[in-house]
Amino acid sequence: MKFKSLMTMTMAAAALVFSVSSCSSDDDEPEVAVAEQAVGTYTGPEVIMVMGEESSSGTSTYEFSKASDTAVDMLIPSSGEAGMMVIPALPVKNIPLSKVGNSIVGKIDSYAGKVSNAAGDEKAYTISDLAVIFEDVPKGKAVAVTFSLKYGNMPMTMETTFTGDRN
Amino acid sequence: MTDNLKLLFLAGVVLTMPVLGISAQTAFRDSVELNPVVVTASHTPKALKDAPVVTRLITLHDIKIADATNIQDLLIQEIPGLEFGFAMSQETSLNMSGFGGNAVLFLVDGDRMAGETMDNVDYNRMSLDNVGRIEIVKGASSALYGSNAVGGVVNIISRENLEPWTANVNSRYNTFGHEWRNGASFSFNKAKWNSQTSFQHTNIDPVNLPKAHSSEEIAFELMKKAQGLPYDESVLNDDSNLSRLYGQKTYNVKERLTWRATDRLTLTGRGSYFFRTSERDTHDYHFNAYSAGLKGRYAWSRDRHLELSYAYDQYDKANFMPNGTRTHDHDYSNRQHVAHLRYHHPLGKNSLLLGADYMNDYLSTYQFIAGTSHAQDNIDGYAQFDWNITPRLNVVGSVRYDYFSASAQKALTQRLAVVYKFPWMTFRANYASGFRAPTLKEMYMHFDMGNMGYMIMGNPDLEPEKSNNFNVAVERQNRIRNSGILDGVYSFTLMGYCNIFDKRITTIDGGLYEGMESALYWNEDGVKVWGVDVSMGHYFDWGLTLKLNYSWMHEAGDVYFSQFNQPRTHSLTWRIGYGHRFARHYALDAALSGRSQGKPQSGRSDVDQGYTIWRLMLQHHLWRGIHLNTAVDNLFNYKPKSYYYCSPLTTGTSFSVGVSVDLDRLL
Repeated sequence: MKFKSLMTMTMAAAALVFSVSSCSSDDDEPEVAVAEQAVGTYTGPEVIMVMGEESSSGTSTYEFSKASDTAVDMLIPSSGEAGMMVIPALPVKNIPLSKVGNSIVGKIDSYAGKVSNAAGDEKAYTISDLAVIFEDVPKGKAVAVTFSLKYGNMPMTMETTFTGDRN
Repeated sequence: MTDNLKLLFLAGVVLTMPVLGISAQTAFRDSVELNPVVVTASHTPKALKDAPVVTRLITLHDIKIADATNIQDLLIQEIPGLEFGFAMSQETSLNMSGFGGNAVLFLVDGDRMAGETMDNVDYNRMSLDNVGRIEIVKGASSALYGSNAVGGVVNIISRENLEPWTANVNSRYNTFGHEWRNGASFSFNKAKWNSQTSFQHTNIDPVNLPKAHSSEEIAFELMKKAQGLPYDESVLNDDSNLSRLYGQKTYNVKERLTWRATDRLTLTGRGSYFFRTSERDTHDYHFNAYSAGLKGRYAWSRDRHLELSYAYDQYDKANFMPNGTRTHDHDYSNRQHVAHLRYHHPLGKNSLLLGADYMNDYLSTYQFIAGTSHAQDNIDGYAQFDWNITPRLNVVGSVRYDYFSASAQKALTQRLAVVYKFPWMTFRANYASGFRAPTLKEMYMHFDMGNMGYMIMGNPDLEPEKSNNFNVAVERQNRIRNSGILDGVYSFTLMGYCNIFDKRITTIDGGLYEGMESALYWNEDGVKVWGVDVSMGHYFDWGLTLKLNYSWMHEAGDVYFSQFNQPRTHSLTWRIGYGHRFARHYALDAALSGRSQGKPQSGRSDVDQGYTIWRLMLQHHLWRGIHLNTAVDNLFNYKPKSYYYCSPLTTGTSFSVGVSVDLDRLL
């Protein structure tokens, strides 16, 4: 019994050493400057769902600019038509990026900002559950974005998805 | 352990509790009242067994064992076929057996409340800290209560403590939204004075509703789809309408003072203040309500009395930025002045009730043309004759006439109720008409919804909604004696009903208005609602209580299935309760309760096809008025597959613990 316990503990200790060594090796690698790979303007289909119904869809252009080596800023384009509610372009700052396999992934749980609309009124907005994925595709670079938007006093959440190719 | 095994285990625990008991007693079960008095069915006090219309009574014991914060929490536990859901603004909407919230009249001590949230009053105002009982009459009751009493009346009756003085402080924490509820109440009863004061504060944090898939998973599938690669469609199809529940705080203060001026004259004054803030992502929504009333009652005898009362109720809404600045773009104020006059006159074994009311209703809202407000007067008169033909046969007839100044609409409503008491059961048959007058909002709305270029237009030519309600019921209540373990009281009620609802006020496509799409308030064809309600209970002398309520309903005609509610064919509520004093300083009230909702009649497949939620409540009555309440809600961890507007708002099992101290017993 004692021998079995000893063997088990030895194996566990060995496993721990190897795993820690492995982690240590990774930690020593320099951070990849993923932001440079992601920046650019991307054009493609955007779908906005309100209350579970499709509110609008069309082609949009999202801009990603470098915030740091490992973070980007995203500019959500203006939406809405004249005569209806027009939401101005909304910036989302400092989205942290990391490498996951061959993809670059950015996530933000919640982001709050303020923006002025066409009438000059300041409107508050929040972006939540934001995920951004950049991948290399045959045509170059592509992005997929999903987030929830609350804008001003509008009671409903706008669930937005966007996929686009880098221009 | 599987859910079924857990259920069997818990049921076993509850059912074997009596074996552990020392002696049979029923100290904590006022549900066993053999002859409680109700007032809602006839506007006059009558024993429940004599009420002309089937009345569902929620007793003080039911309220305590439910440990509910407000009327909403309580009713979903007690009434089958009743659901509360959220509208897009996260204000509550109600569905009761196919009727929306505006077809159910909520009263507090017989007085209606001003303001609306989604389709009815603000249910948060109706805290339960000073409530003695709640009476629910399903079906139309407009012949007594006027507008809105189309699908039912819920009358919340305040408690009146008769002890020299009472004082209570209480606090409860619930893990769902880290909710805190703190309350205090004080009453005194001395000489000619009786006072009841209560305060309640609640605070609930925002709750992020879990999504079936993370945003990262969704983005990955989006990328695959965009690149023409195989992808999982189910990840992209999230049917949830809600992703986050707003946090909110409430403050509720109430005072009622009664002065028994003489043996015949009683004057009652009351006042209350309510404040709620709903903490949205980009702003806070503030709700204020002020209420006051004065009632005089002069009684020549027990059955001959005159009541004159005045009530004022105001409900305001406003938006505030996080920095405290009021935006004034969502200002709303509804004020009601109401005067009641009621005279009850005995005529031998029979009685006559005569009444008249006046209400002035004022509304200013951001949903009207800017800078405008509207008001209207409602005048009514009614009469009810209570005819006791024989000791077994009772017929109650009522008629009422209402006039509304803004729409110049009139409504004549009637009710005829027959009660016949066989030796072994009571039979009831009832016809009643109901109506709901168009509200000022429905008549004068002019609102660009959320500035999205979609107008909602009022219609001053709307007619009142009308309903004709027929129901028959049989009821048996009896005591079992000398049967050992079965000794106790049982009750059984079976009611069938048909409610023909016409001129339903809803919105239809209003065409283009100044280049924008619009919706217009309109009288639509009606619906027919058939249903069967079954209610049964057995109150065993040794402390066990079994209660089961079942509701079946079917809605036909021009059925309008709002996205905010989903009428369901089958629904059920139940409770297995046990109360016992184990020692001088320890007694227990336990309740295993649940509610089950069947499939929605809409046939929607993107929402849950029914659900069952269990709750276990243990109330420990300790030394000298100290009570410890513990509860496990959603015992079997039910989680909706998506959060649509009428889904149960639970993220799984939650726990609560509370303490309540009766200071008058402690000191």
